[in-house]
Amino acid sequence: MSGLQDLKKNLFGGTTSVGRQFGMIFTLVAIILLFEVLTDGLTLTSGNLIAVVSQYSYILILAIGMLMVIVAGHIDLSVGSVAAFVGIVVAKAIQNFDLPWPLGIALGLVVGALIGAWQGFWVAYVGVPAFIVTLAGMLLFRGGNQFIGNADTVPVPEGFRTIGAGYLPEVGPATGYNNLTLLLGLIACLAVAWREWRSRKTRQEMGAEPAPLWISGLRLAVMVGVIIFATLRFAGGRVGTSLPVSGIILIGLVLIYSFYTRNTVSGRRIYAVGGNARAAELSGVKLQRVNFFVMTNMGILAALAGMIFVARSAASGPQDGLSWELDAIAAVFIGGAAVSGGLGTVSGSIVGGLVMALLNNGLQLMGVGVDLVQMIKGLVLLFAVALDVYNKSQGRFSIIDSITRPFRRDEPPAAVPPVESPRQTDKTPAAG
Amino acid sequence: MSAAPVLLEMRSITKTFPGVKALADVNLVVREGEIHAICGENGAGKSTLMKVLSGVYPYGDYSGEIRYRGEEARFGDIRASEQAGIVIIHQELALIPGMSITENIFLGNEPRTGLAIDWKTAQRRALELMKLVGLREDPDALVKDIGVGKQQLIEIAKAFAKDVKLLILDEPTAALNESDSQQLLDLLREFKTQGITSIIISHKLNEIEAIADSITILRDGRTIETLDVKADGVNEDRIVRGMVGRDMESRFPDHTPNVGEVFFEVRDWTVRHPIATDRLVCKHANFSVRRGEVVGFAGLMGAGRTELAMSLFGRSYGTWLSGQVFKDGREIKLRTVSEAIEHGLAYVSEDRKAIGLNLLDDIKTSIVAAKPAKIARHGVIDEVAEHRVAEDYRQELRIKTPSVDEGISKLSGGNQQKVVLAKWMFSDPDLLILDEPTRGIDVGAKFEIYGIINRLAEQGKGVVVISSELPELIGLCDRIYTVFEGTITGEVARADADPERLMKQMTTTKKMPV
Amino acid sequence: MSKFLTKAVAVGAAAVLALGAASCGNNREGEGQTGDAPAKGFAADSLIGVALPSKTSENWVLAGDLFTNGLKEAGFKSDVQYAGASTTVADQQGQISSMVTKGAKVIVIGATDAAQLSTQVKQAKEAGAVVIAYDRLITNTGDLDYYIAFDNFKVGQLQGQALLDGMKAKKATGPWTVELFSGSPDDNNSAVFFNGAMDVLKPLIDKGEVVVGSGQKEIKQTAIQGWKAEGAQQRMDSLLTSTYTGSKTLDGVLSPNDTLARAILTSIKGAGKPTPIVTGQDSEVESVKSIMAGQQYSTINKDTRKLVAETINMVKTLQTGGTPQVNDTETYNNGTKVIPSFLLPPVIVTKANAAEAYANDPKLSPLTK
Repeated sequence: MSGLQDLKKNLFGGTTSVGRQFGMIFTLVAIILLFEVLTDGLTLTSGNLIAVVSQYSYILILAIGMLMVIVAGHIDLSVGSVAAFVGIVVAKAIQNFDLPWPLGIALGLVVGALIGAWQGFWVAYVGVPAFIVTLAGMLLFRGGNQFIGNADTVPVPEGFRTIGAGYLPEVGPATGYNNLTLLLGLIACLAVAWREWRSRKTRQEMGAEPAPLWISGLRLAVMVGVIIFATLRFAGGRVGTSLPVSGIILIGLVLIYSFYTRNTVSGRRIYAVGGNARAAELSGVKLQRVNFFVMTNMGILAALAGMIFVARSAASGPQDGLSWELDAIAAVFIGGAAVSGGLGTVSGSIVGGLVMALLNNGLQLMGVGVDLVQMIKGLVLLFAVALDVYNKSQGRFSIIDSITRPFRRDEPPAAVPPVESPRQTDKTPAAG
Repeated sequence: MSAAPVLLEMRSITKTFPGVKALADVNLVVREGEIHAICGENGAGKSTLMKVLSGVYPYGDYSGEIRYRGEEARFGDIRASEQAGIVIIHQELALIPGMSITENIFLGNEPRTGLAIDWKTAQRRALELMKLVGLREDPDALVKDIGVGKQQLIEIAKAFAKDVKLLILDEPTAALNESDSQQLLDLLREFKTQGITSIIISHKLNEIEAIADSITILRDGRTIETLDVKADGVNEDRIVRGMVGRDMESRFPDHTPNVGEVFFEVRDWTVRHPIATDRLVCKHANFSVRRGEVVGFAGLMGAGRTELAMSLFGRSYGTWLSGQVFKDGREIKLRTVSEAIEHGLAYVSEDRKAIGLNLLDDIKTSIVAAKPAKIARHGVIDEVAEHRVAEDYRQELRIKTPSVDEGISKLSGGNQQKVVLAKWMFSDPDLLILDEPTRGIDVGAKFEIYGIINRLAEQGKGVVVISSELPELIGLCDRIYTVFEGTITGEVARADADPERLMKQMTTTKKMPV
Repeated sequence: MSKFLTKAVAVGAAAVLALGAASCGNNREGEGQTGDAPAKGFAADSLIGVALPSKTSENWVLAGDLFTNGLKEAGFKSDVQYAGASTTVADQQGQISSMVTKGAKVIVIGATDAAQLSTQVKQAKEAGAVVIAYDRLITNTGDLDYYIAFDNFKVGQLQGQALLDGMKAKKATGPWTVELFSGSPDDNNSAVFFNGAMDVLKPLIDKGEVVVGSGQKEIKQTAIQGWKAEGAQQRMDSLLTSTYTGSKTLDGVLSPNDTLARAILTSIKGAGKPTPIVTGQDSEVESVKSIMAGQQYSTINKDTRKLVAETINMVKTLQTGGTPQVNDTETYNNGTKVIPSFLLPPVIVTKANAAEAYANDPKLSPLTK
């Protein structure tokens, strides 16, 4: 096998997961580069990257929860309303009872969990379709927001604003960068190197041949390069800014939930339930528990997203959370989840959400009006999913599929090359 | 028979999918008024050939020539072939459950006056067609309310509504019980007398032997031979030889039973139907399984075999009313599926696609799905262990796949069934209940699955096999229980088992002395 | 494995150096230069950002066009943005951030929710931009520089007075029965309008000469969320059913703007009641027609042209490094500080003075003839 083929196979859309992650990120990179050119280099400035992260982190947090809900075969239309409801409850509680703001956040998470449990109860134990339960929730909690807030805008204290508008403090020697962001970048680089090394070891243990060494090196170099670039950008913004706190919360959640959905027994059960509920049940999975969990979890994440938005806006208002559910759902589907459930990944949804976010941001920087932006976003959603459906129906390489599968099932070793024999005809639609 | 004029001739049909040649130079000659069977293992190309014929793969998508009624036919889609009188009835019925019989018969083909559907004419013609296929039902009855056998008849009536000349049936009896199958075959014979030509695809070789005039055998996408049933004196073994390319000395692998003492016992098991609360699907069932024993459950479809098995397996069916389960002399409670798995039960369902597997999964995930805790520490899955386990089963059960990372949906039926078996073997069961383990699986894979069942028994596990195929039960089981309408009507040892005796017990309420 | 690590580290290090070099041009800006930026002025072709609410009223659409053209004529580059219809606050936050990124020197904001923009205003201020609140006062921030608007308290007073005048003309003596409507509770101006009107009406209500039929006199009871026409129509429908079913007549309705006024009139017409005196604001085309047809009684002419022109004047002054003219440095406290404001006087318009009031308006003037 020539080096070029090796590269193609292993680095770009090949069989290894890390390789295919690049394939997915290509779409994103293409959009970034397109706008970098169209906006004369504004897209990748420190200020803009920081703004994008703090502007969209709450949507991406919703997308994590929404991914799990959709994988389990449900949908949640109420996230925007729940976020708004929690936001106003927390803002009012802090205002009226002089609650310290950390307690306010804790209160918000508890309220979110209760709302999630309420909706989970109807979905899991009574069997009302999630579409209906959350449509009801959408009305219920939007009304609740107006009822409690008297449709008024309630400010939150300075400390609370940290989670939405805060940055890492400036500490240590004057390096010309935000030192804590640099530290995070360094940790990320080490983590990536460790992971690459681990994945090679794992593949060896499985008895599969790991990718050629130079490919691992190149892959690592690209990833480290991207991390360093991002780190310097985020650390090199205006003094007093850094990687936003909301971005750090988001990254933490992505890591936790990716691991959870991919590597744990209970995470897998969500996929089992969404893929074939009856089969999952007959394999000993407790359906009700899984459904209850994904809805409750969604409630908690919606609460967190709502509070981050309130923190960023410095106040909770009656229009918070309007049509967030649509952004979150769009991110999940662009990220390759199946409408019928059972398929999709956290990382895919995040990249789907980032595609939407950078599209939005790039068009805004170009001065394109919101009306047109909405139309373009609608078309992008339609075409992204249509292209994937079309490619699948043609039995061809599906971008989203190839992009997302490896996120879910890590490290598939290409142990045995596919044997093409006539008996394999039943792998095609032609089974006799 | 061979004197009759040729109705259809397919000449050197070749159809390629990316990377795979599904059909290579296939020839088929069907004469007017005959029943022509097409045999072959799964993946031999039978369905593909029929899809070429019916225009699912349009003209230009394949190479070769189709001559129909003396002219070259170039069907661009299914409508075109239907207009020419070629109607295909697929294995999966294309009926809409919530619609009436009449509506289904005329779906997409409604008689009209102007823009409006002429329901009066539709009703009248529906009754005629139903009479023709021997279906006595209210034409306004909803399809979901009538049995599978009758639904199959509606499909045929639907075909007649389209003025059929050549009727193609893909596995028409796969989901039918013996008497419904018999009725359907009789119907085909009757059509023959009326001059209608049929092509039938079936795995049930005894049916083919009984009904077909000629047989075309496909193997690996090629035509192997065409046999004239009467002239060539064809029997089942002859067909099998053509299909697998060699003589099968025995359809069942050698096995010396080594049966131990009773370790699993069910007493007075009674279960109510989940919806019809006045119906009992299991009535005071008692049975036992010994270590190393293969126990069969024979019964007609709907006799309550599956219901019994599923209700035992964590009350997955109906409402439990009474009964106890003993394992190794101690009573055990099986209230949930997890409890059943904990106590060493495994249930391989009859419908692996609908309830047995998550078709979105890959092979290794499916294999560990019933007991993921075995390869996990603190709830975190050890991927290396998972891969090793899957790889072991792939080799042990000879699952044909390039890698255990492949998606389940890419496997053939037989290999999917092996994955299901692996999944339940991985759960360390003491008792495996296999519900129709060889349904829809070709001869070669069946043989392998019988081998797996025997090996499990040799390891000292108890195996319960539920099957509609009596020869399978007789060939495989050490002991057979017969079930009729929710009651266990008898128990027959292998030595005494013959089809007539079993059939008698399967169709009578009288309880035989045990 | 050591070979692998060596190689990886080597390539990684190379990447660090390359990117580090690339990023070096991106010097960190300090905070020091921000506060005194206005004093220095800025280039005459600088970018001026204008962020407006969603296109729900003719006025905002007109203002947007006027800003685009006016700023262009003045030699500036402009970026005029509207918020989306259903995602107003988040859109506006993003738009303001983008304007900051693009280096706008002045950002004019017509806020969708006046209390939820403090982070973005702070961001703009830190990047050295001057922030002007247009028409709606942005609250909860000490970083807002100027406020420009029509005198909204005066608007309310004029509306209250017009309501009384209209009713007196129809029926010389009281008591008159009225209903009160107010604007969206998240719009800072709603309360100002309402308080202005109540400044005139309250003494008469207390005396019993003006009676609020339904008894709903509090701003919370009368508010219409989002300035939505259907909200006003629904409220009027239910008021008519609950209060005016019998012989009780409705003499007047205080409506804060034209959109709501027309919705209220639709509701009353639908119920088959005689047309009462209904006030308005904004001089929308349909309402001017309605006034000329004798339906709606009054509107307010807040000439958007004048307001935009004054705003652009402010921008021009800032460009040269001057301090813009203000005429109120006491009234408008946004919760953090008093914002220097420039207030324009509004004009009440009824059928009687319409021709005169709209003489200079190419769109409205033909309607008055």
